[in-house]
Amino acid sequence: MSDLRVYLRNHWRYFDAALALVVIIGTLAYIYDLLVGSRGLDVAYIARNYTLYIHAVFTNVYATTIAYLVGMAIGFSVGWLRTARTVSLARFAASMRTEKRERREDPSQREGARRLLVVVSLLWYGTKYVVRRIGDGFVEIIRGTPLYVQILFASSFFIVFLPQYATEGLLIGIIALAINTGGYQAEIFRAGLQTVHSGQIEAARAIGFSRLSAMRYVVLPQALRLIIPPLTNEYIGLFKASTFLFVLGVPTEISYLAQHEGFAGDVFEIFAIVTAIFLAITVTLSFVVQALERRFRIPGLGIEQVKVARGVRLARVGG
Amino acid sequence: MIRVTDIQKHFGALHVLRGITFEVKKGEAIVIIGPSGSGKSTLLRCINLLVEPDSGQVFIDGVQVNRHGIRHEWVREQVGMVFQSFNLFTHLTAIDNVTLGLIRVKGMSRDKAVEKARVLLARVGLAAKANAYPAELSGGQQQRVAIARALAMDPKAMLFDEPTSALDPEYIREVLDVMTALAREGMTMIVVTHEMGFASNAASRILFMDAGKIVEEGTAEEIFQHPKEERTRAFVSKILR
Amino acid sequence: MDTATAFQLREPPKLVAGITLIHLVEMVVAGLLMAFVILPAIFDFSLLSAQFWGIYTRFYVTGLFGTFFYVALALPLSVVLGFLMGWARVSRLRIFSWPASLYVNVFRGLPPLILVIFASLFGTSLIPQAILDRFFAGFRRGDIAVGIAAIAIGMHSSAYQAEIFRAGFQSVPKGQVEAAQALGLRSWQRMRHVILPQTFRLSLPPLGNEVAVLIKDTSILAAISGIELVAKSRDLLGILPASGFPIVWIFAVWTVVALTYFVITYTVTRGLRLLERRFHTPGLEGISL
Repeated sequence: MSDLRVYLRNHWRYFDAALALVVIIGTLAYIYDLLVGSRGLDVAYIARNYTLYIHAVFTNVYATTIAYLVGMAIGFSVGWLRTARTVSLARFAASMRTEKRERREDPSQREGARRLLVVVSLLWYGTKYVVRRIGDGFVEIIRGTPLYVQILFASSFFIVFLPQYATEGLLIGIIALAINTGGYQAEIFRAGLQTVHSGQIEAARAIGFSRLSAMRYVVLPQALRLIIPPLTNEYIGLFKASTFLFVLGVPTEISYLAQHEGFAGDVFEIFAIVTAIFLAITVTLSFVVQALERRFRIPGLGIEQVKVARGVRLARVGG
Repeated sequence: MIRVTDIQKHFGALHVLRGITFEVKKGEAIVIIGPSGSGKSTLLRCINLLVEPDSGQVFIDGVQVNRHGIRHEWVREQVGMVFQSFNLFTHLTAIDNVTLGLIRVKGMSRDKAVEKARVLLARVGLAAKANAYPAELSGGQQQRVAIARALAMDPKAMLFDEPTSALDPEYIREVLDVMTALAREGMTMIVVTHEMGFASNAASRILFMDAGKIVEEGTAEEIFQHPKEERTRAFVSKILR
Repeated sequence: MDTATAFQLREPPKLVAGITLIHLVEMVVAGLLMAFVILPAIFDFSLLSAQFWGIYTRFYVTGLFGTFFYVALALPLSVVLGFLMGWARVSRLRIFSWPASLYVNVFRGLPPLILVIFASLFGTSLIPQAILDRFFAGFRRGDIAVGIAAIAIGMHSSAYQAEIFRAGFQSVPKGQVEAAQALGLRSWQRMRHVILPQTFRLSLPPLGNEVAVLIKDTSILAAISGIELVAKSRDLLGILPASGFPIVWIFAVWTVVALTYFVITYTVTRGLRLLERRFHTPGLEGISL
């Protein structure tokens, strides 16, 4: 009997793996049996309709890509804006106090110039501040509200102001998705730009680069490497979110499900097709992400910061 | 007190220990020196069974411990270990680190454990830092807490795996002082280290290991002044430069 | 006067977890601007119109309760499942790690909307008839389906939480586990006193975010016949045009809904950050995924 135990101990790995497979296949078989059972797999349905599904997937990809690119433009601009160096109100107040003190201690004739300086700096910092805060607000709102609500909001915007386009589900959907991804990408761009921002620009300036050149030769190359992984993850997330076009009446994979509502017949086949499609796409894209990550990695470059943005689970619907 | 005979260990294709045999008598302080990769850490871990030797015997107090039926936990109560990277539990204060083993393994009551822990922390000079978290302590302080934690279990012997290698130079002294005092008090110790000063002062014997074998054994004077083997001479000359 | 003293500033008083007085002022100003200036200007209504609220309140409250109900249903489940799956993922036993990996990849790869629709269509078929009869005899089939859909949302979230917990487990330094072994602690003792405390502390920050996402995900239930905030608001909008109220009120409704979610998620994330700060142990900062 102890021979068996020794054998088990030595070959535990294979035993273990075999058991794992049994569990997995067992569960899948159970589900299959529950849903298909004696009915038998309706292969004819799959053969008949798979073109429809392919077409639906293309719609998704199309919508996703357009929304992604538009969102990228939005995201980049907002992200850039948000890295604008603003002076916090407290510090501004402090420097105002200093200014006052200076004026009292050393009264000179340059009153007018001084006043002008104060006004201009107020305007300049004030605008920067407001712009920055608007950017923050935009991102916070996008991240704080469900995608579904955003879509309905966009849809109602069309109903009220542009009724002639109100039925263009695809258009509305793409716009809503674009704004949504814009908000998330803004966060990615901001994190990427800021991670590189501070010390390196100073160092570049010290060597003699102008602000613009420093941005171009020092910050951007690094920032680009940082943001590629989260951005690709964002694409995957957006693709998953594009299923929401369904609620706008755009024919996607799952609309066929809705059609079959009362008839529980081929539900499993549809389930299988749709699952297979999505898993295939997301898993493939994930591998692409990993490969890209490996290729563009700079050892020691703080991927950490930007990962925080990614970890914000860029799954759309909710988040 | 601790005896190992013909210990062999492979990690995959790597033959890390190629037949190690030596003995540590009660009260002795042994220092093991040697180049990295010679298997010193693995050897230590074979003694308290954090690593299981492929073959050979490990005897603690006459009992062979590397066989079936021996509880590993029992072995580790006999022999305490101090690690190169301290390995203090980051979520617990210094005193909690020390009392954890007392309460959970030895079954002591909380009050008794705290009292004992305080005594030990005082012994390593850290009475004031009882409620500090590891992140708030310097490397040297952390290592001393680690020593207190191991001592709390009243082990018969102590294993030190390069205890000062991860420390900034200014903290090495305080840890070595604690270890030297421990050796003077008669604790049976096996220390893997590069600190030759400590080896000269506190070691009863020094073992030189290379490529999985013990090349030479002797007193500090023998090894450092009159090494018999060529490899020993080469290594010692590099270290003592 | 040198630069140092010139720019000496007093640290602005912090009220709560990173929200300074300035922030509060900002939020109040923004809120007031929105309510009284911007929105009326664009949308020609005031959010404080009594008439509007007279009609909407009923829908709003029902919907809100529905949302909370679904969250209460899905959230605990998602945390428990997520924890178990995360633990299984780091297990050496393949019998645990393989099924768990499969689970995580499937539930992360499928969009929640699809999960919800699947659940609503054949969720009830997956439950053996016997259990249905015994516990849920009084419920309509449609309601059970929605409940299962809510659970599906929880499972979707649990897949992400599994990854968070996994990272938490793997962030506990291996050396400490070794040290625990060297002290003689047994396997379950190591888990309980060394590994788990640190896992939880490390996982908390990203987890808070995940909770916010879950709350937002409950809005998907509006796509099927769920009774929650979005669905109820949509119902109201269904009857609006017929009753002859200004069509612009659509915006009012969705603005309120958006604001509600925003306030909820904002509170949850900031609140959790507060909690983090109170239980903070120096040396255990949160992991980044």
